[in-house]
Amino acid sequence: MFKKLITSSGEHGTELARTFADAELICREGESSAEMFVIRRGSVRVFKASPRGELELAVLTKGDFFGEMSVLEGLPRDASAQAVGEAEVLVMTAGALLVRLRRDPTFAFELLRRLSGRVRSLNARLVAALGNGGEPQERRFGEALLYQSEPKESGTAV
Amino acid sequence: MIIDTTQERLLVVSDLHVGNPYSAATRTLGDFFEYAEAGGYNLCINGDGFEILQARFASLAAESASVLRGIRRLIERGASVLYVVGNHDIALENFLSAWSGIQITPFLNVTSGGTRIRIEHGHLYDPSFVKSPRVYEWLTRAAGPLLHFYPDVYRVWTSYEEAKQRLRGALRSGTAPPSVYHEAAEMLLRRGFDAVVFGHTHQPEDTSIPSGGRYLNCGTWVRGGSFVEIDRGQVALRRWGD
Repeated sequence: MFKKLITSSGEHGTELARTFADAELICREGESSAEMFVIRRGSVRVFKASPRGELELAVLTKGDFFGEMSVLEGLPRDASAQAVGEAEVLVMTAGALLVRLRRDPTFAFELLRRLSGRVRSLNARLVAALGNGGEPQERRFGEALLYQSEPKESGTAV
Repeated sequence: MIIDTTQERLLVVSDLHVGNPYSAATRTLGDFFEYAEAGGYNLCINGDGFEILQARFASLAAESASVLRGIRRLIERGASVLYVVGNHDIALENFLSAWSGIQITPFLNVTSGGTRIRIEHGHLYDPSFVKSPRVYEWLTRAAGPLLHFYPDVYRVWTSYEEAKQRLRGALRSGTAPPSVYHEAAEMLLRRGFDAVVFGHTHQPEDTSIPSGGRYLNCGTWVRGGSFVEIDRGQVALRRWGD
């Protein structure tokens, strides 16, 4: 019922879909690039180096996005991202993000909501990590956060 | 406020326009709610469920009673009821929270059986609304009294919209041309959705988007009824009574 096929509606600015193999790096901590990513298929692991070794920040799945801080702030990457299994991501430059925000207004809402959630989560984890009852892994996380908060000559952004 | 939700079995309806004199939704929804309850479905009203913009308060209150009773019954039987805000009930944007068990939200990202589905009313892509939301609201309000005295004006508008669609289709060699809603759906699909479900146009539709994914429209319950059924990742457009 009602089924039909439409013709293509054309190009989408500078958004580009890219596929990464298992364990392939999508972006590397410290590199300068101004693109953000939306996961279309598969999973992505986000991690960063800390004084005590590699620290996994999140494993993201379809629909999640990452790398937005480098686009918004124009600073080097603060974390690395790696495909877990084969993963397809939508790569967005700053210009493509602006076009999308204009044409896809709920994306801005989701972006702000996600950033707000991350700040809330980081605050909670920081308080937990610095409190007496923090688990060793949480304490490491807190130390990593404090390490990041030390002033540097050039800023960084996830 | 809920935006991300996991729903294995969900029925999506839109554009009930309960309270508007041209809407026959209250006469048919009772059986539909029973169908939802018997099938163990949750319910999503995808915008313009209640006619806040055009209806007189007395009509809205009287017509809403049976619908709210049906919703209450579903909730009491354990179903979750989600309400996505549309343009005729845009005042509900001030209540983005849970109200008597009904979750009010601006849009939904539904995960069902590994499938990601965006449910949104769709008015944010309507060029008339985007160009000037206040003028759009004013004109819609102004049409309210007219509909009260001449409900068949809606039929004239529907015929005009259908004729316009047919004309556009004919001009493009028999294939349906991409509308602003198809383009909006394609934008959403590109960022990790498998299907996009809108309402707003009153035109039930299930369209394959060439770059991948599907665009569905719930249609309306003003005359007859259609709905989208989500069952463990399977998404289908149905007509009530088939």
